[in-house]
Amino acid sequence: MLDKRLVIVSGKGGVGKSAVSSALALLAQRNGLRVLAVEMEAGGLAAHFGTGPLAFEPREVRPGLHAMRIVRSDALLEYLSLQLRLPGMGRFGAVARAFDALATAAPAVREIVSIGKILWEVKEDRWDLVVADAPPTGQIASYLRAPASISELVATGRIRSQAGWMADTLRDPARTRLVLVTLPEELPTAETRESMDWVEKTGVVGPPLVITNRVLSEVTGTSTLEGVAGAMVRLHRSLWTEQQTWLDRLPPDLTLPYLFGLFTPGEVAAHISDELEALR
Amino acid sequence: MTKTLLVTGAGGVGKTTFAAALAVKAARAGVRTLVVTVDPARRLASTLGVEDLGDEPQPHADEPDLWAAMLDSKASWRAVAMRHADPDVATRLADNEFFEAASEHFPASQSYAAADQAATFVQARAWDLVIVDTPPSGGGIDFFAAPAQMADLVGGRLLRWITGGPLPGRRFFYDRAARPVLRIAGSILGSDLLERVSEFLLDLRTTYDGVARRGREIEAVLKEAVILVITTADPAPVGEAVRFYRQLPELASTPAAVIFNRALPADWAGVAPDPDLSAELGRLVEQWSAETVRQADAREEFSARYGAVVAAVPWQSHPPTDLSGLAALIDDSTGIPWDSLLP
Repeated sequence: MLDKRLVIVSGKGGVGKSAVSSALALLAQRNGLRVLAVEMEAGGLAAHFGTGPLAFEPREVRPGLHAMRIVRSDALLEYLSLQLRLPGMGRFGAVARAFDALATAAPAVREIVSIGKILWEVKEDRWDLVVADAPPTGQIASYLRAPASISELVATGRIRSQAGWMADTLRDPARTRLVLVTLPEELPTAETRESMDWVEKTGVVGPPLVITNRVLSEVTGTSTLEGVAGAMVRLHRSLWTEQQTWLDRLPPDLTLPYLFGLFTPGEVAAHISDELEALR
Repeated sequence: MTKTLLVTGAGGVGKTTFAAALAVKAARAGVRTLVVTVDPARRLASTLGVEDLGDEPQPHADEPDLWAAMLDSKASWRAVAMRHADPDVATRLADNEFFEAASEHFPASQSYAAADQAATFVQARAWDLVIVDTPPSGGGIDFFAAPAQMADLVGGRLLRWITGGPLPGRRFFYDRAARPVLRIAGSILGSDLLERVSEFLLDLRTTYDGVARRGREIEAVLKEAVILVITTADPAPVGEAVRFYRQLPELASTPAAVIFNRALPADWAGVAPDPDLSAELGRLVEQWSAETVRQADAREEFSARYGAVVAAVPWQSHPPTDLSGLAALIDDSTGIPWDSLLP
């Protein structure tokens, strides 16, 4: 994954998507890469990096690792001025607001502003790797297909002329990788499989890497333990058995262990980063 | 009077299962109960007997006082707009390609649809207890702010933004050449798209009076409701639960309890492995013991810092697959303020 330029991390809510995103960014940073981590919804990355709220302006949170948040109004102004080459848009608040209002009703316009900022950072070549903590799987499709949708929907207009290179960057497996974080449970497994099918069908992005989080180890040997220890082993075994049902339906790409007794998001991110380093 | 119970929380914490378990338990206590769920897992849907149902409540085949309904948020948002528009405008809206985009992009719309549907069930007075599994969009808090936000949206906030001031008439958009804002927006988006979007927003505006009136009714139902916040002891969901607990008193009322799902037995804390155990099993005992300590700390901190009533629902290795399994989830829990939940 570290040889890509852009890693987009998605997954059902509650599976540890932000923890894995921040761990990937930390992994790249400790391997000497210049990394930009982008939070597309408020809160996720900031908690795992142990920083205060992130802003649109990238901030160095570790040596060589910058982090930012997509603030839609800022992204919009930058999109209008940089990508659509409308100089001095900061002074034209009315145009930005009008554009934002239209974007609420027009498919793909709003998404292309967010994903466009990320793709712009990739294009500008300031970073070895951009890691995006993307919206959950339920919404990720509308972001990934936004450049293609714009090309279909908008016959003319400057926004259309930008959509081409964006779609190319997303589609190129040498540059972009989609990571789907999941759990060995019913709903996350179903959502992951739906996303995989959708990606294969549309081809808007290359084949995804599935990371299955919180996987329990198998307990070998027989046990006739009684008391608390016995109860622990029985719960562990039956949870493990339940997990196998869903692991069988997920690709065996990469699994992360269940982390016991951790207190803070920062600790969780550091441990996952260690696990990923060990798997390399 | 119908009592309303709102079960809120981040996605993936077992909210839907818990709402269903409460419903089964109440129904078995002789309370005529409706549980309203959003996107349940297939096994849970089949346990509740709502596998193939739409948003019409259905009685359970084996439990006469248990009713269930499943919300299809997209369909019901559409229904809401249809209900408040003139017939010819309604047809135009129904055919409009932007309708779906607007409902996807406006985060409160899914929540509005769910809140509207839930309020309808409460107002029907056909049940003693209506339990609502709130949709997780916007972290779940959207549900409570949605009625006001929805009225603001259809009331022309977007149109006012587009014009930079007063609400426009239909001719405004054909007179675009004179307006620099629209000329620039048109050159970015293409003039055709701009016009089609504007037409859509003007149509949507005609639903304002109906949506605003209905919004006030929905808010009244939400303010009367008893709220439960559900979470696991994991750091991210707890963070969300804290946010809910602090914001809900302003939007509706103070949650009656914070329910920690997947709790381990209290006597697992601080257990040292027997020296006779194999290294593998010894490590396993240490791990589950550490996990139990962490969970207890998370609950105690929540209760100490925010003064919340805290309850614990046991971690079951397999999700319940029948009504008795669901009821057992509540029976094996500790700290649920049961008396304040029933009518």
